[in-house]
Amino acid sequence: MVQKFLGLLLALVDQTGLMSISIGNIIMIIVGAVLIYLALAKKYEPFLLIGIGFSCIVSNVPGSDLTAPGGLFHYAYSGLEKVIIPPLIFLGVGAMVDFAPMIARPSLMILGAAAHAGIFIAIVLAKMTGIFTIAEAGAIGIIGGADGPMAIFVTMKLAPHLLPQVAVAAYSYMALMPLIQPPVMKLLTSKAERSIEMTQRRPVSRLEKIVFPFVIAIIVNLLLPPVAPLITMLMLGNLLREVLIVDRLSKTVANDLMNVITIILTVAVGSTMAAESFLTFKTLLILGLGLIAFIGGTASGVIGAKMMNWFLKEKINPLLGSAGIASVPIAARVAHFVALKENPHNFIIMHAMGPNLAGVFGTAISGGIMLALLGVK
Amino acid sequence: MDILPMTVPDTLEGAYILSIVDFFLSIVIIWVISLVLYCLPYVNKFGDVTDESLTSGH
Repeated sequence: MVQKFLGLLLALVDQTGLMSISIGNIIMIIVGAVLIYLALAKKYEPFLLIGIGFSCIVSNVPGSDLTAPGGLFHYAYSGLEKVIIPPLIFLGVGAMVDFAPMIARPSLMILGAAAHAGIFIAIVLAKMTGIFTIAEAGAIGIIGGADGPMAIFVTMKLAPHLLPQVAVAAYSYMALMPLIQPPVMKLLTSKAERSIEMTQRRPVSRLEKIVFPFVIAIIVNLLLPPVAPLITMLMLGNLLREVLIVDRLSKTVANDLMNVITIILTVAVGSTMAAESFLTFKTLLILGLGLIAFIGGTASGVIGAKMMNWFLKEKINPLLGSAGIASVPIAARVAHFVALKENPHNFIIMHAMGPNLAGVFGTAISGGIMLALLGVK
Repeated sequence: MDILPMTVPDTLEGAYILSIVDFFLSIVIIWVISLVLYCLPYVNKFGDVTDESLTSGH
């Protein structure tokens, strides 16, 4: 009788995950807990890190089949795998963003490209390690684009197995931009340069704002088919916002849909952080290269703005260049606060939003060209 | 996802080529978009669309 009972108990234990938990699982559970701590205590991207941290913890508890094919988290991941989630996020972002600062001063758009040299520095360094293929190096480089959905989109096309590392690096560094960017910005500019005040930008009419999404969608579909799904949805979201007449749709995509997609995205990313694929030397390298990409992008943006000043009669504040790295609106806010520290009357946030929004296009364009050059449709 | 034949070699040289070409083309395409945006104010010549005209009767 006792033997039968013990046998039954052992059979039950066998069905749980208790016997198969590894040191790696425990480390990843701690990593998940740290992400949640950063979200709660440090307020670093709580909307993202809570979901990622939670699903990272749950996915590393052996036993359930949440992440296995047929499991609930696996279906969330399918949204990334089929590249459906990033365009839907862009739809919501488009409905939230006013592109007027970019439309009003197109000359600053070039900073959206200049601030992406970090991508290419990271690609070359990744290839120099001899560990990564060029497709993997491209996925690592795109971390420097400081655009989460774009990083996921490009990574899913080039190196889907690197998704957890790339996503975690991209979102973590975006959250840490107020710490990463200012030292680089101060190192490359003088106090006088940081104090430059910007002139008022021209007003943008409603008609211009309505025509803008059509123009951009046509250009991108024409020139950059690989990233057309993302930018097309970004522009559709923006059109819904600017035509005013469908405010119900605009509010739905900017709020409800965006929230639902964010939950699915965070669950999907966190569920890929399995110990066996995440706890590797490659992960450390990717995190290091991602940081270099962010620093390189900030530096190249500031240098690009300083180079523009060689040719401009009316000088621009070179801090605007750092906002070209994307990560809307964090980078613009960082530029604003650094400028404000030097000159308490200098409010450059709306001026920085121009290059900041151009940075979204800069990342998309770099990603699109990269996909095309690597032969990925 | 369709993988077409690689156009850039999977070498360090390929990484240099990819980086230089991508960076250069990014600047060119952004520049083209900014040129188009310079022309955007001309659409105002076709008429005025006010917020009221869009939302009235809705």
